[in-house]
Amino acid sequence: MTTTADLVKPLITVEHVNKTFGENQVLRDVSTHFDAGKVAVIIGASGSGKSTLLRTLNRLEAHDSGRIVVDGVEVNDNARNLDALRAEVGMVFQQFNLFPHLTALENVALAPRRVRRLSREQAHIRAEELLDRVGLKAHQHKHPFQLSGGQQQRVAIARALAMQPRVMLFDEPTSALDPEMVKEVLDVMKSLARDGMTMIVVTHEMGFAREVGDRILFFDHGRIACDAPPVTFFDRQDNERIRAFLGQVAH
Amino acid sequence: MHGLISIWPVAWSRQARSSATMALATALLLLILWLMAIPLSAAPEPIGNNAQYFAEGTRITVQLTLVAGLSGVLLGVLAALGKISRIPPLRWLASLYIWVMRGTPLLVQVLSVYFVLPAVIPALRMSDFTSACVALALNVGAYNAEAIRAGLLAVPKGQIEAARSLGLNRWYTFIDVTFPQAFKISLPPLVNNIVALLKDSSLAYTIGVVELTNIGNRIQAATFQPVPIFITTATIYLLLTTVMTQFSDAVERRFDVEGKLG
Repeated sequence: MTTTADLVKPLITVEHVNKTFGENQVLRDVSTHFDAGKVAVIIGASGSGKSTLLRTLNRLEAHDSGRIVVDGVEVNDNARNLDALRAEVGMVFQQFNLFPHLTALENVALAPRRVRRLSREQAHIRAEELLDRVGLKAHQHKHPFQLSGGQQQRVAIARALAMQPRVMLFDEPTSALDPEMVKEVLDVMKSLARDGMTMIVVTHEMGFAREVGDRILFFDHGRIACDAPPVTFFDRQDNERIRAFLGQVAH
Repeated sequence: MHGLISIWPVAWSRQARSSATMALATALLLLILWLMAIPLSAAPEPIGNNAQYFAEGTRITVQLTLVAGLSGVLLGVLAALGKISRIPPLRWLASLYIWVMRGTPLLVQVLSVYFVLPAVIPALRMSDFTSACVALALNVGAYNAEAIRAGLLAVPKGQIEAARSLGLNRWYTFIDVTFPQAFKISLPPLVNNIVALLKDSSLAYTIGVVELTNIGNRIQAATFQPVPIFITTATIYLLLTTVMTQFSDAVERRFDVEGKLG
C-alpha cells in the first residue's frame, strides 16, 4: 500500500557508499535513507562502521565512492556547499568537544553569530533560551571544566540546536558519561524527539533505542545487517548474530 | 616570586587583575624609559655624567625589541601556518625559512641584512636601525614559528571537528577556536623567545646602532672603567626583562580559565 508518507522525499539518502581506512573497509556498499521527523538508532559492535557512516553524512569523513544527498544537496568537497550543509546538520560527539576557552553561553552563541550573522545580543538571547531548555540556565557563565560530563553534553546539544538544524546526529552521546549522568542526557534527547526533531543516533543504550527509535539499524562489518522497527528488532529478532549481540549488551 | 599580579585585591576577577597588571607593567616600562636618567645621574662617575646616554641606549634597545618582537610574532604565526599547510609550496617555503634562520648565527644575519642585501639588491638599502629590526624579526620569527606550530598541533582534533560541524568556515574555526587555544599553549616558549630577543638586540651594535650595549662599550672605551659600566648595563637589561615577564605572566593569567596557575 502506498501512503503519502512514502511519496515524501527522504531528508537524507545514502547510495552504495564505501569507505576504507587503509586495509580496513569500514563501509561496504551501504544504502539507506533517513526521513524527516523520525528517529533512527544505529547500533552494532565497535568497529562495525556505525560512527563512520554518521561522520560521512556531514563529511567529517569523506566517502570513497557512492552518493550521499542531504536535503537535496550532494555531500562532496565543494567548500561552500559543505559549510551550508554543516550548518543544517547538528552533531553531538562522544567527547562533547566543547570549546574550553569559552563559557557555556559563548559556546552556544558562537556559530549563530559567525554563520547566521546574528548580533551578539540576539545570539546570547537565543543561547540563553536553549540553555534553559536543557536545564542549564543557571550555569550559562561557567566554563566547560566547571561542568559535569552530563552538563557538558547538554551544553553541546544546545550548541548544535542553536543553528536550528534540519537533522541532529548523535555519535555515542552517553558513552563517555558516568552512569548517573546518562539519564539527564537521554531525557534531553527524548524531549527533542517528542518535538519532532529528525535524529540519527549511534548508541549502546538499548532502552533508549526501544523507547524513542522509529527504526533500528544494526551494523555488522560495514553493512546494514538489519533495518527494522524496534518491536521487530528486539522482540522478533531471527538473526542469530544480532541475538547474540543483544544478549551481550542486555545486562 | 609571586610578581605584580599578587598585589591586587583577591576580590577582583582574574581578568581584572590581569588587565591591571598589564597596565601597571606598561606604565612601569614607560616610566623607566622616560625618567631613568634622573636616578642614574645621581650615581658617581662614569655613570652619573653619562646618564643621558644610558637612557638613550635603553630607549633604542626597547624600540628594537618591540618592533622586532611584534613583527616576529606575526611572522611566526604565518610560518607556522605555512608549515602545517596542505599546500606543498607553502610548506617548503616555511620550512626553508625556519631552516635558514635557525641554522645560521644571528650575528651573520644582522651583518647580512645590512651589508649583503643592498649589495645584491640596491633597493634594499636600509638604515642601521631598520636593518637590525628586519634581521631580529626574521630570526625570532623562525623560533616563534615552531613554538606556535607546537601550540596549533596540541589543539585536539575534536575541537576542529566540532567547529566545522557547526558550519564555521576555516577562517572562523582558526580565529575563534584553534588560535586562542594554541596561543595559550605557545605563550611560555614565545616569552622565552622575546626575552632572548631583548638581549640579542645587543648584536645590532655591530652595524652601528647606538643601543644599550653599544653605549656601554663606548663609555668603557673612553673611561677605561669596565666594572661600573657593565654592572649598570646588565642591571638595565635585568630590569627590562623583569618588567617584560611581569607583563607576559599577566597575559598567561588572562588565558588561564581553568585556574591551573594557582
